[in-house]
Amino acid sequence: MRPMRLFPAVLLLALAGSCAFALEPVQWKDKDYAAQFKYFQEGGVYAEDTWAALSPEAQGTELRNAKDPAAGRQEEIRGYYASVMARWDSGKLRDYAAQTREEDVNIVRIWLGDARAAAMEKKLRVTRAMLDKAASDGLRDSDQAALSPYLTRQAISDLSGYKAASGLRRQAETASGNHEIPKAALTDTVQKVSGSLSQQTGNSVSKFFDGSNAKGDISDPVHLQGKYEIPKAVANSMAGGITGPVSKRVSGNVSGILNTRNAPAAAALKSAPPSPLTGSGLPPKDNKSASWTSDAYGYTVTANGQTQTFRDGKKAEAAIRQLPDGSVSKIILYGHGSPGMQTVGPNVYDAESTAALLKGKMAKGGVIQYSGCNTASIGGPSLNPAVGLSIVARRLLYFSLPYFQDRADGVPADQAKQQWEKGWNADLARDTSLGVKGAIVCGYRTFGLVPGRFPVVARLMGTQEATTPGYVAGKKACYQDGKEVPAP
Amino acid sequence: MTDLNYILETILLLALPLVPVAVGIMLRRKFRPAAAAGGAAAEPGAKARKIGRLTGNILLWGGILGILFMIVVLLNFKGKI
Repeated sequence: MRPMRLFPAVLLLALAGSCAFALEPVQWKDKDYAAQFKYFQEGGVYAEDTWAALSPEAQGTELRNAKDPAAGRQEEIRGYYASVMARWDSGKLRDYAAQTREEDVNIVRIWLGDARAAAMEKKLRVTRAMLDKAASDGLRDSDQAALSPYLTRQAISDLSGYKAASGLRRQAETASGNHEIPKAALTDTVQKVSGSLSQQTGNSVSKFFDGSNAKGDISDPVHLQGKYEIPKAVANSMAGGITGPVSKRVSGNVSGILNTRNAPAAAALKSAPPSPLTGSGLPPKDNKSASWTSDAYGYTVTANGQTQTFRDGKKAEAAIRQLPDGSVSKIILYGHGSPGMQTVGPNVYDAESTAALLKGKMAKGGVIQYSGCNTASIGGPSLNPAVGLSIVARRLLYFSLPYFQDRADGVPADQAKQQWEKGWNADLARDTSLGVKGAIVCGYRTFGLVPGRFPVVARLMGTQEATTPGYVAGKKACYQDGKEVPAP
Repeated sequence: MTDLNYILETILLLALPLVPVAVGIMLRRKFRPAAAAGGAAAEPGAKARKIGRLTGNILLWGGILGILFMIVVLLNFKGKI
């Protein structure tokens, strides 16, 4: 019998052990899941602390979901890095110098490490500096040597020739004063010409466009001699948007100014920065806070039988405006309230702004719920201790303190009294109901305590960024057209 | 006079949470536990004493918590925390 008892015991232990092993949490940036963690990091969905707050099961699910998208993204970034570090021709030089952003470098840093990001930064720094230098002082042999790891020979020689072109332009500036041509005629000429850029005209054409502005108009009249042809490509690049100092022209559109035959068309984008993350395989960002305290607020809109929630006020307001008139059956504004006003995150609503937002949108008998403290007046006498607490707090916070502040600032006593006596017992819900006819508007006569907002509890319940309050402990009051009605 | 009225009101409102504290202290004193008499039988009224003392404790500590809560609310309102 003994071996028979031992076997189930060992089996049980083994099962328990395997369970424990399977449920072991995965450390942040675990090498076995490097790609997934980079994917999370780039998407900004998790950080070390928020990851640690997930249960091992949730971690496993997230890692599985992100596996394929992360592998694809890794290939994409590798390809991008290879093209960034390859030797650039003139067109790519222009594009990469102008288009590459700090974020692109950061993405490379996340996926390929600091060393490669530093190499990319160095290349961008050197090439941008040399572009500026080519425009102002010209390139020396040492500069050309410094560029050799980064640019093709052709691109380096193009860049070296830039100084000559700008020299010619300066000559033209001094010579142009004696010549005259009607401004309108020259503008017409610029718009109609066609042809290709030759070496000779490329060197000479800058004479005609000194002082040109974005429309190709010429502020300083110059004499147009018949022997010059104005090629369309140059006319476009010169007359179409180059107005700033030379260094800016260089960084933005150097190939149009370079007197090179091989400069690619300015419009073609070669740098192809990595596309933004589409979010596939990433969990939604809502409710992923690992904070011990709550930052819960949001809009819950029920219209045509569908409920949508928002944290972003602009998106919520845009969505509400797009709804057909008379379609909203319930809207909850969840945030913090005080007499006469309610916040939803960074947005502040009073009776007028809420009425303006919801006017015409509410269905007959639709409910506007302010889920914030003190969003209705105290009302009649009550033995409810919560009402008493609210009276005390309101009188102290929304009456005494501002009143004494006003008096300290020299406001006469009667004036200060008049101002704040109204404020402490303002009724946001009633005032709103007067602005949105037919709707039932509810607020709280007391503090509205939401259990999911308490520190620690918020974390345990995962309600740090909840958009809907759930249970609210408080005395509710509802109004329709300014008259109190039972809560729906 | 307006100012004086509101100063008095403010003092009164601020003093409110002290009322349960004072009552609690009073009850705790009134229902002090009897000195332990070795082997003596249970004193009559011991249960009432216990309830009175419990009530005093609840009022005292509830009042203290109330005062702390009001301080937190005040500081929050002033943007300090």
